[in-house]
Amino acid sequence: MVTPWAALRGVVVLVYIFMLGPILITAAVSFNQSNRSQFPPQGFSLQWWQRAMAPEWVDPLWFSLKLASLTAVLSTLLALPLAFALARYRFRGREAMVALTLGPLMLPALVTGVGLLQLFQYAGLRDYIGFTALLVGHIVICLPFAVRTVAISLHTLPPNVELAAASLGASRARTLWHVVFPLIKSGIIAGAVFAFVHSFTDVNLSIFLARPGEVPITVKILGFLEFGFAPTLAAVSVITLLLPLALVAIVQRITGLGDFIYGQRERV
Amino acid sequence: MPWLLVAAPMALLLAFFVLPNVLLLSTSFLKSEAQQLTGELTLENYTFLFGKPIYQWAFLRTFTVGAAVGLFTVLLGFPLAYFLVRTTSPWKGVLIAVCLAPLLASVVVRTYGWYIILNRFGAANDLFLWLGLIEERIAFMPSTGAIIIGLTHALLPYTVLTIMGSLNGINPNLEQAAMSLGASRTRTFFHVVLPLSLPGIAGGFILAFSIAISAYATPAILGGPATQVMATAIYGFITQLLDWSVGAALAVILIVSSFLLLFAAARLGAKQAAI
Repeated sequence: MVTPWAALRGVVVLVYIFMLGPILITAAVSFNQSNRSQFPPQGFSLQWWQRAMAPEWVDPLWFSLKLASLTAVLSTLLALPLAFALARYRFRGREAMVALTLGPLMLPALVTGVGLLQLFQYAGLRDYIGFTALLVGHIVICLPFAVRTVAISLHTLPPNVELAAASLGASRARTLWHVVFPLIKSGIIAGAVFAFVHSFTDVNLSIFLARPGEVPITVKILGFLEFGFAPTLAAVSVITLLLPLALVAIVQRITGLGDFIYGQRERV
Repeated sequence: MPWLLVAAPMALLLAFFVLPNVLLLSTSFLKSEAQQLTGELTLENYTFLFGKPIYQWAFLRTFTVGAAVGLFTVLLGFPLAYFLVRTTSPWKGVLIAVCLAPLLASVVVRTYGWYIILNRFGAANDLFLWLGLIEERIAFMPSTGAIIIGLTHALLPYTVLTIMGSLNGINPNLEQAAMSLGASRTRTFFHVVLPLSLPGIAGGFILAFSIAISAYATPAILGGPATQVMATAIYGFITQLLDWSVGAALAVILIVSSFLLLFAAARLGAKQAAI
């Protein structure tokens, strides 16, 4: 007699196989000896990994890392005052601002990409298509993540700590710097990490704003796929997959992200 | 005071989010001739899209893919979410992390795994040949089915997260109460847990649906010219045909579609809050 719970466990195992299978197969294929996607892999070779280290792949990877890091820093810097204002003040137009802040999350990034491309072309900013346009676009689509995360940590702040600091004679600035900031630090870091990951993994916006020599790794892989299968891509994919994973694992160790993953779904 | 704080981010959003979208909206009503926009107002871009069978099929395919992906992510995601919320295993944290980890990988990378599996010389063909299930190699892709599989895989974590959220919100005492009144585990599940988690299921379905209809990478990799969806068609109009008017009109249709879906989701969310 199979209990419902045991049956459920069976289903869950299958779902995990479905989720992880393709990723594991990609990793396995990257060590394949032949240049076909044979599975199970035949032999063992590091030649595809060696090829993945060529400038053709390392350059876009490095480009994406730079883009995502800068996006994370800038969108967090912009998100801090915005989240603070939205969380702490009630003012005219606040609702509209909340809607506008979350807008890039609601609207398909693909459409924002097309719009930005048109804007840059028609405003005579054609020369800025590439890194600058990508940076601007990525900040726009990553801002909601950063604002939400910071806003959540502001909301969960015990309200009395600021009053306590003020009653002990701390100025507003001093309270912010010595009390509020340390308490929301992990929220800020989590927001920056989400922004980094979102930027690093974006394709929908980036396909419109890249230009030769200034191509994020995701767009590069996508373009290369048109020519069919190459095991080098499997190695590149694994690297592209491990970088954000490593970042999140490190940050998780140091400050913890777990609380904010559910929080992502909450309101500002 | 708050105005000073919001000035910079709002300026950025107005200049690089609102303005481009307004530009796109107005372009969709302008006539374009020989790849150049003219000042003439027209609805031609829309009538062109709705009139041509190839784009009618693209609309139909886009929404079929969206609905199928929504359905499959719920069918696969609900058991997983239920398990993750209820399990008492010491591995619970790890299992949740493993379930969410794919979100850290780009859709391109994850879809590439399906490319390796589904292409004519891929793992699925190798496996089926070896098992003797097929005699000759079959092309599983490019096809609409392959796109649905790839997107279901890509969006499953979102649905799981949404459903877990609503399952976490169910008071465990309700189940205890049902069972103490003599309901079996199965009966409790179908009469208590499932109805209470419906808003989460609907939310997950719509979230996956709305992301799926605007996804570009997966249909581009697992589909082909014969399996165009709206996103790939937009890309074609903008970058290959350089027809901004029709491309913009298509983008506007995509925006309206996903807004209607999100509006529906918000209505459901409001109900959820009321409960």
